[in-house]
Amino acid sequence: MKNMKFIAGIIVFGSLWGFAECIIGSLLRDANLPAGALMTGIFAIGLMTLSRTTFRQPGMQAGIGLVAGALRLFNPFGGCFICSAIAIMAEGLLFDLIWTGFSLNLKKTQTLTIQASLGICLAYLVYVGGYIVTQILTPVFSSAGFYLENLIVFIPQILASGLLAALIGVVTVPVVFTLKKFDITIRDRVYYPVTMGVSALCWVIVITNTILIVWL
Amino acid sequence: MGKDRLLPIFALLILLIGSVSSIYVYATQATTNTLLVNGQHYTMDQLFSLAQPRSFNESQYSGIALDDLMLKTGVVHPEQHTYTLKGADGYEKTVTWENMKNGLLMKDKESIFSDLPKAFRVKNIITIEVK
Repeated sequence: MKNMKFIAGIIVFGSLWGFAECIIGSLLRDANLPAGALMTGIFAIGLMTLSRTTFRQPGMQAGIGLVAGALRLFNPFGGCFICSAIAIMAEGLLFDLIWTGFSLNLKKTQTLTIQASLGICLAYLVYVGGYIVTQILTPVFSSAGFYLENLIVFIPQILASGLLAALIGVVTVPVVFTLKKFDITIRDRVYYPVTMGVSALCWVIVITNTILIVWL
Repeated sequence: MGKDRLLPIFALLILLIGSVSSIYVYATQATTNTLLVNGQHYTMDQLFSLAQPRSFNESQYSGIALDDLMLKTGVVHPEQHTYTLKGADGYEKTVTWENMKNGLLMKDKESIFSDLPKAFRVKNIITIEVK
Protein backbone atom coordinates (compact mmCIF):
# COMPACT_ATOMS: atom_id res chain seq x y z
CA MET A 1 0.00 0.00 0.00
CA LYS A 2 2.86 2.33 0.93
CA ASN A 3 4.53 1.45 -2.37
CA MET A 4 1.40 2.37 -4.30
CA LYS A 5 1.24 5.72 -2.51
CA PHE A 6 4.88 6.33 -3.45
CA ILE A 7 4.25 5.55 -7.13
CA ALA A 8 1.11 7.70 -7.17
CA GLY A 9 3.20 10.49 -5.63
CA ILE A 10 5.82 10.18 -8.38
CA ILE A 11 3.11 10.35 -11.06
CA VAL A 12 1.29 13.37 -9.59
CA PHE A 13 4.42 15.43 -8.85
CA GLY A 14 5.94 14.51 -12.24
CA SER A 15 2.72 15.42 -14.03
CA LEU A 16 2.49 18.78 -12.24
CA TRP A 17 6.11 19.60 -13.11
CA GLY A 18 5.68 18.47 -16.73
CA PHE A 19 2.47 20.49 -17.02
CA ALA A 20 4.22 23.58 -15.65
CA GLU A 21 7.13 23.12 -18.08
CA CYS A 22 4.84 22.68 -21.10
CA ILE A 23 2.29 25.39 -20.42
CA ILE A 24 3.89 28.00 -18.12
CA GLY A 25 7.43 27.40 -19.47
CA SER A 26 6.26 27.97 -23.05
CA LEU A 27 4.51 31.21 -22.02
CA LEU A 28 7.67 32.44 -20.28
CA ARG A 29 9.79 31.61 -23.35
CA ASP A 30 7.33 33.45 -25.61
CA ALA A 31 7.66 36.47 -23.30
CA ASN A 32 11.48 36.27 -23.67
CA LEU A 33 11.92 35.65 -19.95
CA PRO A 34 14.67 33.37 -18.58
CA ALA A 35 12.32 30.38 -18.57
CA GLY A 36 14.95 27.76 -17.73
CA ALA A 37 16.10 29.39 -14.49
CA LEU A 38 12.55 30.38 -13.48
CA MET A 39 11.13 26.90 -14.09
CA THR A 40 13.99 25.17 -12.26
CA GLY A 41 14.12 27.65 -9.38
CA ILE A 42 10.37 27.71 -8.73
CA PHE A 43 8.63 24.59 -10.05
CA ALA A 44 11.37 21.95 -10.19
CA ILE A 45 12.96 22.79 -6.84
CA GLY A 46 9.59 23.56 -5.20
CA LEU A 47 7.86 20.34 -6.26
CA MET A 48 10.89 18.12 -5.66
CA THR A 49 11.57 19.62 -2.21
CA LEU A 50 7.91 19.14 -1.30
CA SER A 51 7.93 15.53 -2.48
CA ARG A 52 11.24 14.76 -0.75
CA THR A 53 10.21 16.27 2.59
CA THR A 54 6.83 14.50 2.38
CA PHE A 55 7.85 10.99 1.31
CA ARG A 56 11.51 11.07 2.51
CA GLN A 57 12.44 8.37 -0.01
CA PRO A 58 15.55 8.46 -2.22
CA GLY A 59 14.89 7.70 -5.87
CA MET A 60 11.55 9.48 -5.94
CA GLN A 61 12.81 12.67 -7.63
CA ALA A 62 14.54 10.70 -10.39
CA GLY A 63 11.13 9.11 -11.07
CA ILE A 64 9.40 12.50 -10.97
CA GLY A 65 11.93 13.79 -13.53
CA LEU A 66 11.20 10.84 -15.81
CA VAL A 67 7.43 11.47 -15.68
CA ALA A 68 7.85 15.23 -16.22
CA GLY A 69 10.33 14.65 -19.08
CA ALA A 70 7.94 12.17 -20.70
CA LEU A 71 5.15 14.75 -20.54
CA ARG A 72 7.46 17.34 -22.10
CA LEU A 73 7.95 14.97 -25.04
CA PHE A 74 4.20 15.10 -25.67
CA ASN A 75 4.35 18.87 -26.04
CA PRO A 76 7.07 19.34 -28.62
CA PHE A 77 5.84 22.57 -30.13
CA GLY A 78 6.66 24.93 -27.29
CA GLY A 79 10.38 24.63 -27.95
CA CYS A 80 13.06 22.03 -28.42
CA PHE A 81 11.44 18.97 -26.91
CA ILE A 82 14.50 16.72 -26.89
CA CYS A 83 16.66 19.29 -25.08
CA SER A 84 13.91 20.11 -22.56
CA ALA A 85 13.01 16.48 -21.86
CA ILE A 86 16.67 15.54 -21.34
CA ALA A 87 17.19 18.56 -19.05
CA ILE A 88 14.12 17.72 -16.94
CA MET A 89 15.10 14.06 -16.52
CA ALA A 90 18.68 15.05 -15.63
CA GLU A 91 17.43 17.64 -13.12
CA GLY A 92 15.31 15.03 -11.34
CA LEU A 93 18.23 12.65 -11.05
CA LEU A 94 20.62 15.39 -9.93
CA PHE A 95 18.22 16.63 -7.24
CA ASP A 96 17.96 13.10 -5.91
CA LEU A 97 21.73 12.64 -5.82
CA ILE A 98 22.45 16.06 -4.30
CA TRP A 99 19.78 15.77 -1.56
CA THR A 100 20.98 12.26 -0.72
CA GLY A 101 24.54 13.62 -0.64
CA PHE A 102 23.59 16.30 1.89
CA SER A 103 21.54 13.69 3.82
CA LEU A 104 19.75 16.21 6.03
CA ASN A 105 17.98 15.00 9.12
CA LEU A 106 14.41 15.98 8.24
CA LYS A 107 13.09 15.08 11.67
CA LYS A 108 15.11 17.99 13.02
CA THR A 109 13.81 21.54 12.43
CA GLN A 110 16.11 23.26 9.93
CA THR A 111 17.12 26.88 10.52
CA LEU A 112 16.28 29.49 7.90
CA THR A 113 20.00 29.74 7.04
CA ILE A 114 20.16 26.01 6.30
CA GLN A 115 16.94 26.16 4.27
CA ALA A 116 18.18 29.13 2.21
CA SER A 117 21.61 27.54 1.73
CA LEU A 118 19.97 24.30 0.63
CA GLY A 119 17.86 26.29 -1.84
CA ILE A 120 20.95 27.94 -3.34
CA CYS A 121 22.89 24.68 -3.63
CA LEU A 122 20.00 22.64 -5.02
CA ALA A 123 18.75 25.22 -7.52
CA TYR A 124 22.23 26.10 -8.82
CA LEU A 125 23.62 22.58 -9.06
CA VAL A 126 20.43 21.13 -10.52
CA TYR A 127 20.16 23.92 -13.11
CA VAL A 128 23.85 23.95 -14.10
CA GLY A 129 24.05 20.15 -14.07
CA GLY A 130 20.91 19.81 -16.20
CA TYR A 131 22.25 22.44 -18.63
CA ILE A 132 25.58 20.63 -19.03
CA VAL A 133 23.93 17.22 -19.47
CA THR A 134 21.68 18.70 -22.17
CA GLN A 135 24.62 20.31 -23.96
CA ILE A 136 26.29 16.89 -24.10
CA LEU A 137 23.34 14.60 -24.84
CA THR A 138 21.45 16.75 -27.37
CA PRO A 139 24.34 16.77 -29.89
CA VAL A 140 25.01 13.08 -29.17
CA PHE A 141 21.43 12.23 -30.20
CA SER A 142 21.63 14.48 -33.29
CA SER A 143 23.47 13.97 -36.57
CA ALA A 144 26.03 16.70 -35.78
CA GLY A 145 27.76 14.88 -32.93
CA PHE A 146 29.25 16.18 -29.69
CA TYR A 147 32.39 18.33 -29.62
CA LEU A 148 33.95 18.88 -26.20
CA GLU A 149 35.43 22.27 -27.16
CA ASN A 150 31.91 23.59 -27.85
CA LEU A 151 31.00 22.83 -24.25
CA ILE A 152 34.24 24.04 -22.63
CA VAL A 153 34.08 27.54 -24.16
CA PHE A 154 30.47 27.90 -22.99
CA ILE A 155 31.06 26.81 -19.37
CA PRO A 156 31.36 30.42 -18.02
CA GLN A 157 27.95 31.28 -19.54
CA ILE A 158 26.38 28.16 -18.02
CA LEU A 159 27.86 28.95 -14.60
CA ALA A 160 26.63 32.54 -14.87
CA SER A 161 23.11 31.57 -15.95
CA GLY A 162 22.69 29.39 -12.84
CA LEU A 163 22.93 32.46 -10.58
CA LEU A 164 19.29 33.44 -11.17
CA ALA A 165 18.11 29.91 -10.36
CA ALA A 166 20.18 29.99 -7.15
CA LEU A 167 18.65 33.32 -6.09
CA ILE A 168 15.15 31.94 -6.69
CA GLY A 169 16.06 28.81 -4.73
CA VAL A 170 16.82 31.01 -1.70
CA VAL A 171 13.09 31.75 -1.52
CA THR A 172 11.57 28.51 -2.86
CA VAL A 173 13.02 26.02 -0.36
CA PRO A 174 12.17 28.06 2.80
CA VAL A 175 8.64 28.59 1.40
CA VAL A 176 8.21 24.81 0.99
CA PHE A 177 9.50 24.17 4.52
CA THR A 178 7.04 26.81 5.81
CA LEU A 179 4.15 25.20 3.90
CA LYS A 180 5.09 21.86 5.44
CA LYS A 181 4.33 23.31 8.88
CA PHE A 182 0.66 23.34 7.91
CA ASP A 183 0.09 19.66 8.44
CA ILE A 184 -2.15 18.89 5.47
CA THR A 185 -2.86 15.20 5.18
CA ILE A 186 -5.09 13.56 2.62
CA ARG A 187 -7.05 10.53 3.75
CA ASP A 188 -6.32 7.25 1.96
CA ARG A 189 -9.89 7.14 0.67
CA VAL A 190 -9.41 10.32 -1.38
CA TYR A 191 -5.63 10.12 -1.92
CA TYR A 192 -5.75 7.95 -5.05
CA PRO A 193 -8.70 9.67 -6.76
CA VAL A 194 -7.10 13.09 -6.11
CA THR A 195 -3.58 12.16 -7.29
CA MET A 196 -4.79 10.24 -10.34
CA GLY A 197 -7.33 12.93 -11.18
CA VAL A 198 -4.76 15.74 -10.99
CA SER A 199 -2.25 13.69 -13.03
CA ALA A 200 -4.82 12.83 -15.70
CA LEU A 201 -5.91 16.48 -15.91
CA CYS A 202 -2.29 17.62 -16.47
CA TRP A 203 -1.77 15.07 -19.27
CA VAL A 204 -5.11 15.86 -20.94
CA ILE A 205 -4.41 19.61 -20.96
CA VAL A 206 -0.88 19.15 -22.37
CA ILE A 207 -1.98 16.69 -25.08
CA THR A 208 -5.00 18.86 -26.00
CA ASN A 209 -2.70 21.88 -26.19
CA THR A 210 -0.39 19.99 -28.55
CA ILE A 211 -3.29 18.89 -30.78
CA LEU A 212 -4.65 22.45 -30.93
CA ILE A 213 -1.23 23.84 -31.87
CA VAL A 214 -0.89 21.27 -34.68
CA TRP A 215 -4.38 21.90 -36.07
CA LEU A 216 -4.60 25.68 -35.76
CA MET B 1 32.94 20.38 10.59
CA GLY B 2 29.23 19.40 10.54
CA LYS B 3 26.98 19.58 7.51
CA ASP B 4 25.03 22.41 9.18
CA ARG B 5 28.10 24.61 8.86
CA LEU B 6 29.32 23.29 5.51
CA LEU B 7 26.06 23.98 3.69
CA PRO B 8 26.10 27.82 4.11
CA ILE B 9 29.79 27.91 3.13
CA PHE B 10 29.03 25.82 0.07
CA ALA B 11 26.10 28.13 -0.79
CA LEU B 12 28.30 31.22 -0.52
CA LEU B 13 30.89 29.56 -2.74
CA ILE B 14 28.20 28.86 -5.34
CA LEU B 15 27.03 32.49 -5.26
CA LEU B 16 30.63 33.59 -5.70
CA ILE B 17 31.14 31.28 -8.70
CA GLY B 18 27.89 32.49 -10.29
CA SER B 19 28.76 36.16 -9.72
CA VAL B 20 32.35 35.91 -11.01
CA SER B 21 31.14 33.99 -14.07
CA SER B 22 28.53 36.68 -14.76
CA ILE B 23 31.17 39.42 -14.57
CA TYR B 24 33.47 37.41 -16.86
CA VAL B 25 30.68 36.82 -19.40
CA TYR B 26 29.76 40.52 -19.39
CA ALA B 27 33.39 41.61 -19.78
CA THR B 28 34.16 39.23 -22.64
CA GLN B 29 30.95 39.79 -24.61
CA ALA B 30 31.98 40.50 -28.21
CA THR B 31 30.31 43.23 -30.27
CA THR B 32 30.94 43.49 -33.99
CA ASN B 33 29.03 44.52 -37.09
CA THR B 34 30.79 42.03 -39.33
CA LEU B 35 30.87 38.25 -39.54
CA LEU B 36 34.14 36.36 -39.83
CA VAL B 37 33.44 33.59 -42.35
CA ASN B 38 36.26 31.24 -43.36
CA GLY B 39 38.84 33.78 -42.20
CA GLN B 40 37.36 36.84 -43.95
CA HIS B 41 35.18 39.62 -42.59
CA TYR B 42 31.81 40.29 -44.28
CA THR B 43 28.87 42.53 -43.50
CA MET B 44 25.44 40.88 -43.42
CA ASP B 45 24.47 42.72 -46.61
CA GLN B 46 27.53 41.30 -48.38
CA LEU B 47 26.71 37.77 -47.22
CA PHE B 48 23.06 38.11 -48.28
CA SER B 49 24.13 39.26 -51.74
CA LEU B 50 26.58 36.35 -52.03
CA ALA B 51 24.52 33.28 -51.15
CA GLN B 52 21.21 31.82 -52.30
CA PRO B 53 18.10 32.37 -50.20
CA ARG B 54 16.59 29.47 -48.23
CA SER B 55 13.51 29.15 -46.06
CA PHE B 56 11.91 26.57 -43.76
CA ASN B 57 8.47 25.97 -42.26
CA GLU B 58 6.50 27.80 -44.97
CA SER B 59 8.86 30.80 -44.81
CA GLN B 60 8.62 31.06 -41.01
CA TYR B 61 12.41 31.01 -41.04
CA SER B 62 14.16 32.59 -44.00
CA GLY B 63 17.70 33.64 -44.74
CA ILE B 64 20.62 32.42 -46.83
CA ALA B 65 21.74 28.83 -47.40
CA LEU B 66 24.73 28.00 -45.20
CA ASP B 67 26.14 25.42 -47.62
CA ASP B 68 26.03 27.87 -50.52
CA LEU B 69 27.58 30.55 -48.32
CA MET B 70 30.53 28.29 -47.58
CA LEU B 71 31.06 27.53 -51.27
CA LYS B 72 30.83 31.24 -52.20
CA THR B 73 33.36 32.16 -49.52
CA GLY B 74 35.93 29.81 -51.00
CA VAL B 75 35.62 26.53 -49.11
CA VAL B 76 36.93 23.66 -51.23
CA HIS B 77 36.09 20.00 -50.57
CA PRO B 78 33.38 21.14 -48.15
CA GLU B 79 32.42 17.60 -47.14
CA GLN B 80 35.91 17.13 -45.65
CA HIS B 81 35.43 19.92 -43.09
CA THR B 82 33.40 20.63 -39.99
CA TYR B 83 31.94 24.09 -39.35
CA THR B 84 31.91 25.88 -35.99
CA LEU B 85 29.36 28.65 -35.56
CA LYS B 86 30.26 31.01 -32.70
CA GLY B 87 27.89 33.49 -31.08
CA ALA B 88 28.80 36.80 -29.45
CA ASP B 89 28.00 35.31 -26.03
CA GLY B 90 30.55 32.52 -26.52
CA TYR B 91 27.97 29.85 -27.42
CA GLU B 92 29.24 27.69 -30.25
CA LYS B 93 28.17 24.58 -32.10
CA THR B 94 30.09 22.45 -34.58
CA VAL B 95 28.17 20.86 -37.46
CA THR B 96 28.91 18.69 -40.48
CA TRP B 97 28.55 19.52 -44.18
CA GLU B 98 25.34 17.45 -44.28
CA ASN B 99 23.93 19.72 -41.56
CA MET B 100 25.06 22.84 -43.45
CA LYS B 101 23.02 21.63 -46.44
CA ASN B 102 19.96 21.88 -44.19
CA GLY B 103 20.96 25.14 -42.52
CA LEU B 104 20.30 28.80 -43.03
CA LEU B 105 21.60 32.07 -41.66
CA MET B 106 18.89 34.58 -40.84
CA LYS B 107 19.19 38.37 -41.12
CA ASP B 108 19.43 38.65 -37.32
CA LYS B 109 22.60 36.46 -37.46
CA GLU B 110 20.88 33.35 -36.06
CA SER B 111 21.44 29.88 -37.51
CA ILE B 112 18.57 27.43 -38.06
CA PHE B 113 19.00 23.80 -39.07
CA SER B 114 16.00 21.79 -40.22
CA ASP B 115 17.71 18.51 -39.25
CA LEU B 116 19.05 19.54 -35.85
CA PRO B 117 17.51 20.40 -32.45
CA LYS B 118 17.01 23.95 -31.19
CA ALA B 119 20.30 23.74 -29.29
CA PHE B 120 21.99 24.30 -32.67
CA ARG B 121 20.37 27.69 -33.09
CA VAL B 122 23.35 29.94 -32.44
CA LYS B 123 22.24 33.53 -31.89
CA ASN B 124 24.15 36.65 -32.91
CA ILE B 125 26.81 34.69 -34.83
CA ILE B 126 30.16 36.47 -35.11
CA THR B 127 32.28 33.67 -36.63
CA ILE B 128 31.83 30.68 -38.91
CA GLU B 129 35.04 28.73 -38.68
CA VAL B 130 35.98 26.04 -41.18
CA LYS B 131 38.00 23.23 -39.60
